[in-house]
Amino acid sequence: MSTRRFALFILLVAIVGLFLSPFAWLVIVALKDPSELAALHWLPEHPRPGNFVEAVTSIPFLGYARNSLMIAGIYSVLVTLTSAWVGFGFARLSAPGKRILFTILLATMMLPQIITLIPTYLIFSKLGMVDTYWPWVLWGLSGAAFLIFLFRQFFANMPRELEEAAVLDGCSYPRIFWSIFVPQSWPVLAASLVLSFTWSWGDYVGPVLLLSADRTTLPVAIATLYTNPQGIPSNNLLAAGSIIYIVPVLALFLFAQRGFVAGFSTSGLK
Amino acid sequence: MTASPLTATAGAPSRVRPAAASPTTKPARRGCRRAGAFYLFVAPWLVGLIGLTVFPLGYALWLSMTNSDGLSPNARFVGLRNYRELLSDPQTLQVLARTGLFTAVTVPATIVGGLFLALLVNRPIPGRAVFRTLLYLPAVVPPVAASLTFKLIFDRDTGAANALLEAVGVKPVTWLTDPFARYVLVMLVLWGCGNCMIISLAGLQDVPRELHEAAMVDGASTWQSFRRITVPIISPVLFFQVVTGIIAALQTFLPPVLLAPTAGATSDVKALPQGNTLYMVHVYAQYFNSARFGYASALLWVLFVIILIVTALIFKVGARTVFYGVDPKEGDR
Repeated sequence: MSTRRFALFILLVAIVGLFLSPFAWLVIVALKDPSELAALHWLPEHPRPGNFVEAVTSIPFLGYARNSLMIAGIYSVLVTLTSAWVGFGFARLSAPGKRILFTILLATMMLPQIITLIPTYLIFSKLGMVDTYWPWVLWGLSGAAFLIFLFRQFFANMPRELEEAAVLDGCSYPRIFWSIFVPQSWPVLAASLVLSFTWSWGDYVGPVLLLSADRTTLPVAIATLYTNPQGIPSNNLLAAGSIIYIVPVLALFLFAQRGFVAGFSTSGLK
Repeated sequence: MTASPLTATAGAPSRVRPAAASPTTKPARRGCRRAGAFYLFVAPWLVGLIGLTVFPLGYALWLSMTNSDGLSPNARFVGLRNYRELLSDPQTLQVLARTGLFTAVTVPATIVGGLFLALLVNRPIPGRAVFRTLLYLPAVVPPVAASLTFKLIFDRDTGAANALLEAVGVKPVTWLTDPFARYVLVMLVLWGCGNCMIISLAGLQDVPRELHEAAMVDGASTWQSFRRITVPIISPVLFFQVVTGIIAALQTFLPPVLLAPTAGATSDVKALPQGNTLYMVHVYAQYFNSARFGYASALLWVLFVIILIVTALIFKVGARTVFYGVDPKEGDR
């Protein structure tokens, strides 16, 4: 290694250390004894792995985890299927008005989600859908602009020969989509599932607005419930709970890294 | 349409070739069936667009001209009163200015930071795949967990930040209140710049190596070759980050709320440090703390229009400065 390359390596190690230090602090706090929470202790004297158990048992953690899992599962499966379906339309079919619709699709990628969220909440509450999973079903069924775009890019690059014979045989487009294109696109399907699952797993405002306290999701529970009987936040449990909450996302990310990166590079609209 | 340069990059509409008409089917009928099929396929998105985007926006527009409190059924139409009030409300204007400043600081900082990291991990160094992964990791952490982590680090009595200060002999700081809360927020945003890194990295990998080699032969410095070759080639990717970054920054809501020193902070966003009361926080407070649904809807619509104008302006500037022309796939379509 040349000196220059070595210096670069050291610089990167330092930056990575800086980037990972918040995680380190999270782990340190998660292992502390309650008695060490009142003043600063760099390291816990007697690390307490039991905090992780307490974080799960002192609040109905598993119930909230199940809610999170249900919502993220419903949303990610539906939004992936719908986005693939719509993406196929944009990639493989044409009709008058398609150009303008595609421009609108791209524009909605730029459209602020949160701006529609509060009026949507009012509408859902009038429809009696507050405190149900229906909003996530509806959001899932209408697809997500970014994922539609992802699928469109992928489908548009598939060879025309794939569907030609099927078209000649009079095969319907839904059939072509389902039996020819979907089986070929598992990398994008996986990327889309991981991305949408992660979004939904991380979403906070949606559940806060739309779900009652006992039907809510893990992030809301973690942010609000870890307090001791005096109402003071139990930071060690908060940290332990947060770690348990983060780990599935990090694991999913490490597992599906390629899909993530592929998704994000396409989002650069190269 | 604001998105036209984007469409050009994606090569969108022209890209889809009609399948060759077969001799056995009449072209006209085929075209008709394909059009029907197209609408069958885009229908779910189109219905969602109308029901979940256009209609809520319209509903907010109507609400913004009433004095609705969200509960009582007899909301009265008040015309543009909410908008007039908004324009003369010093608090709203202050929040707006603060959000503009926040955007002007965090968007360039994350893009430049991300690009810097991308340049580093694009070099041939041992273990660069590991470096990429680790630098990207914070960007994957859900915002709630990231905010809570920073809250633990910057806790006044028990946080690592003050411990470090003490170790070097500086007096501890109450980080999570004014005036320091805003710096914590910016640091939190910067922690996630791995997102920008990944996007820039994808752009950098498209830069043909021969161009840099040729420039080196011609005696260009590293900086010159970065400035004249790399930046123009990755400019569409940078441009994309500017657009999405600004839109996201203008709507920042969760991190400032969760960083607040009070526990379970969403119940009272008014207790936030002033420096972190960004626009969306203000909107939320008007809705749920003051039950001023009409006024809050007007605030939402103003933000929406601001975002539209800003996006249109960036696209206008971008059309002149962004360099599209390296994608060989674009040429023949």
